[in-house]
Amino acid sequence: MMKSIAFGAIAAVMLATGLMVVSSKNLVRAALWLGAMLLGTAVLYAIMDASFLASVQVLLYVGGVITLMIFGVMITRKHEGLEVPAETMRPSRAMAVSALLFLALAAAVDKTEGLEQELLPAPPTTADLGRAFLVEHVLAFEVLSVLLLGTIVGAIVLARRRDLGAAVGLFPATPPMPTGSVAPTDEEPGSKVAA
Amino acid sequence: MTPPVLYALVALWTPAIAALLLAILYPLRKKGQPAAVVAILGSLVSLGAAITLFTDRLHDDATHRLVVPWIGSGASTIAEVGVHVDGVSASMLVVVTLVATCVQVFSIGYMHDEPPEAYGRYFTYHALFLFSMNLLVVAPNILQLFAGWELVGVTSYLLIGFYFKKPSAARAAVKAFWVTKFADMGLLFGLLVLFAASGTFGWEPTLSPPVATAVTLLFFLAVVGKSAQFPLHVWLPDAMEGPTPVSALLHAATMVAAGVFLVVRANPLFEQAPITRSIMLGLGAATALFAALLALVQTDIKKTLAYSTCSQLGYMVAALGAGSMLGGFFHLTTHAFFKALLFLAAGSAIHAVHSNEITDMGGLAKRMPLTATAFSVGALALAGVPGLSGFFSKDLVLESVEGKLGNVPYAVLMLTAFLTAFYMGKVVFVAFFGKPSGEKAAHAHESGPSMSGPLVVLMVPTVVAGYFGATFAKVQGEPYHFAFGAGPATASALGLAGIGLAYAVYGRGPRAAVPAPIAMIDRVAKTRAVNRVYEWGFRNVTLVLADGLAFIDRYVVDGLINLLGWGAIEGGRKLRPIQTGLAPDYVLAVVLGVVGLAVWAVFGSWR
Amino acid sequence: MTLSHVLMLASALFCVGVYGLLTRRQAIAILLSVELMANAANLVFIAMSRFRGGVTGQVFALFSLAITVAEVAVGLALVILLYRSHADTRVDLASELKQ
Repeated sequence: MMKSIAFGAIAAVMLATGLMVVSSKNLVRAALWLGAMLLGTAVLYAIMDASFLASVQVLLYVGGVITLMIFGVMITRKHEGLEVPAETMRPSRAMAVSALLFLALAAAVDKTEGLEQELLPAPPTTADLGRAFLVEHVLAFEVLSVLLLGTIVGAIVLARRRDLGAAVGLFPATPPMPTGSVAPTDEEPGSKVAA
Repeated sequence: MTPPVLYALVALWTPAIAALLLAILYPLRKKGQPAAVVAILGSLVSLGAAITLFTDRLHDDATHRLVVPWIGSGASTIAEVGVHVDGVSASMLVVVTLVATCVQVFSIGYMHDEPPEAYGRYFTYHALFLFSMNLLVVAPNILQLFAGWELVGVTSYLLIGFYFKKPSAARAAVKAFWVTKFADMGLLFGLLVLFAASGTFGWEPTLSPPVATAVTLLFFLAVVGKSAQFPLHVWLPDAMEGPTPVSALLHAATMVAAGVFLVVRANPLFEQAPITRSIMLGLGAATALFAALLALVQTDIKKTLAYSTCSQLGYMVAALGAGSMLGGFFHLTTHAFFKALLFLAAGSAIHAVHSNEITDMGGLAKRMPLTATAFSVGALALAGVPGLSGFFSKDLVLESVEGKLGNVPYAVLMLTAFLTAFYMGKVVFVAFFGKPSGEKAAHAHESGPSMSGPLVVLMVPTVVAGYFGATFAKVQGEPYHFAFGAGPATASALGLAGIGLAYAVYGRGPRAAVPAPIAMIDRVAKTRAVNRVYEWGFRNVTLVLADGLAFIDRYVVDGLINLLGWGAIEGGRKLRPIQTGLAPDYVLAVVLGVVGLAVWAVFGSWR
Repeated sequence: MTLSHVLMLASALFCVGVYGLLTRRQAIAILLSVELMANAANLVFIAMSRFRGGVTGQVFALFSLAITVAEVAVGLALVILLYRSHADTRVDLASELKQ
C-alpha cells in the first residue's frame, strides 16, 4: 500500500519533470529538469528494490551525464550567461504523433494478459545481480568494456579532430574556431567542415 | 585409333595449328615471309596425310570414324564431332589440299609486292581456310559440315575483301557474304527439319517422301548459294575482286565445290527425293547455259573464268540431279585441277601485265611460254578435248543426263560444251596469240619459279586425271565404265568446233568485229537484269520491311521502355520532397512505423 | 502498483521523449530527449525483473545504462563537431546531404 502511494507520487513527479525537459525554453534548465527526472527514476528503482541500480543511476546519470550535458550546452552556446534558448518547431504535429504512439503503446499494455500483477515477495538481491553480472554474463561485460573504451577514443578523436590532424600533420592548419558571439554566417554550410 | 583416322586428323589439324600460330604470334605474321613458310608447311603435311589416306583407300574400303560427343542432352548426345573417312572424304581431301598447296606456293610470288603485314595476314587466312574446308570434308555428320561450311564462308569473306581499302572489294565481300548467308539459311533449316524428323544429323536416315523433299530442297538452296547457281550466282563474278590465287582456290576449285560436295555427301537423302533431283537437273543445266552465255561477252579474264566456273558447277549439279553421284564428283575433281590451273595461269598473266582485260594482253605466248602452255592446256581440258581430264568427266556427266527430262538438259549441256570451247578459245587467242596490244604486254616476262612451279604441278593432273576414272570410281565404290561412243564423240566434235569458230573470229586479233549474236548477248548482259531484280527487291521489300520494324522498335518497344524510365523519374521527383534532410522528420517516420507495428501487434496477430 | 502501471508510466515517459525529439531544434536538447526515452526503456527492464522474477532484467538495465552513456559521449562529440562546422547546433541547418 505504501509502495503504491509512493509509486503514484513519483510517477507524477517523473511525468511533470519529463514534460519540463521537453518544453523548457532554456537549455540549461532543461538539462537540470532531466536531472530531476533521473533522480525520480532512481527513487522508483529503489521502490522496486533495485537499490544497486538506483545508486548507479544517481552516480552515473545525475552525477555524470547531466554534468556532461551542461558542459556541452555551455561550450556550444552563442550567448553569455546561463540563458540558452531552446527552440521548438511544429509542436502540434509532434504532439499528435506522440499521443498516437502513447495510445498504441497503452493499447498494447491494456490488451496484454497477465499484467495485473503485484510485486513478487522475494526481490533479487545485489549479490544475485553481481553474480549474474560478473559470472554468467562476464563475456558481455568484457565486450561492454571494450565498447566503452572505443567510445572514449572515438569521442576524443571526433571532438578534437582538427587539433589532432594539425599535430600529426595530416590536416592543414585551419583558422580559429568561431567564438560563441559570432552569429551564424550566411556562408555555404559545410564550407568550414574540417578538411 | 586406326591409321586412316590418324591421317585424317593430321590432315585436319596441321592447317589449324598453322593458323593458330599465325593468329597468336603477331611477330610471325608481321614479318610476312615466315608466315608463308608456316602456312605452306602446314599445307604440305596436310597434303602428305591426304595422299597417304587416299592410297590407303585403294585396298581398304571400310569406313573409319572417330567421333566424340559434342552436344550433350541429359544422358544422350545430340551431335558428335570427329572425322569420317571413306572414299568421298579421302578423294576430296586430296583435291583440296593439293590445290591449296599449289595456290599457296603460287601466292609467294604473286603476293610478293604486298607489305609484309598484309602478306602474313593473307597466309593466315589461307591456313584458316584449309582447316575449315577439311573440317567440312571429314565431317561425320551434317552439323559439323555446317560448321565448316560457315567457316569457309567467313574465310571467303575475308579473302574477297583482302584489299579492303578498295571500296569495290569491300562491297564484293559483303555481297558474297550476304548472298551465301541467305542461302545458308536453307542448310540451317534443313538441318533442323532433318533433326526434328529423324533425331540425327547424319545423312543416312530414311525419311518420309515429303520430309525428304523438304530437307533436300532446303539443302539445295544452300547449294545454289555456295555453288553459285542461278539465280544466286551474282556474288561469284564480284568475288573476283579478291587476289587471283584466292579466286583459284576458293572461287573455282574448292569452296564453291562445297555445295556439290554436300550433295555427294548427302546422296542417301537426295536419293529419297526425286522431285529435288529433277529441279537440280533443270536448274543445273539452265545455269550451265546461262553462265556460258554471259562468259561469252566478258573481256575481263577472271570474270570469264568466274562465269565458266558457274557453268561447270551447273554441269556437276545437273549430273547429281540426274542421279550420277560419280559423274558430279568426278567432274568436281577434274574441274578443281584444271580451273585452278587456269586461274593461276591467268594470275601469272595478270601479274605480268597488271591488267585483267584480255584486250590489254595479246601475244603473251612468245614472252611467257610456260604460262601460255598452262593456260592452253587448262582451256583444252575445259573445252573437253579428247585425252584431257575434262573430256572424261564431262562425258560422264553428259552420259548421266542422257534421256532425262525429255533430253532437254542433255541438249542444253551439249550446246554449253560448244559455247565453253568457244569462249575459252576466244580468251586464249586474244590474250596469248596475236600482237601485244600495249607497252606492258610487249615487255611481259615469265613469272618466277614459285609461280611457274605450281602451274607445272597442276598441269599433270589436268592432263592425266581422266585416265584414273576407274581408280576414282573404285575408291567411291561406284561402278565405272567408259566407252567412246556417239555421245562423247558429239561432245568432242562440238568442243573442237567451238575452238575452230573462236579461231575464225578471234584468231587474227582482238579487234575483230564483234559478231552480231555476241553483241546482242552483251546488250542483255549489260542490263544486269538479275542484279537489278535483287536491288529492286532490296529497296522495295527489305528496306520497307526494315523501316516498318524500325518504327515498331522505336515507338512501341522503346516507347514502353521510355515510359518506364519516365515513370521512375517522375515518381522520384514526386517523392523527393519527403526527404527533407531534417532529422526530426526521419524520427517522425520511425515513430509512425512503430505506431503501425504496435497497432498490428495489438489488433492484428494477437486476436 | 501493478506491472501494467509501471509499463504505462514508461510508455508515457517514452512518448514525452518522442515529443521532445520531434520538436527540439538544438542538438543537445534532442540528446536530452533521447536520454528520457532510454530511461523509460530501462524502467521497463527493471520492472520486468521485479514483477516476473529473475535478475536478468537488472543485468540488462546495467548494460543498457553503459551503452546509453557511451551514446551520450559520442552524441556530444558530434554536437561539438556540428557546432564547429556550422557555428550552431540546430540540426535543421545541417541538411547538406539533401542537396
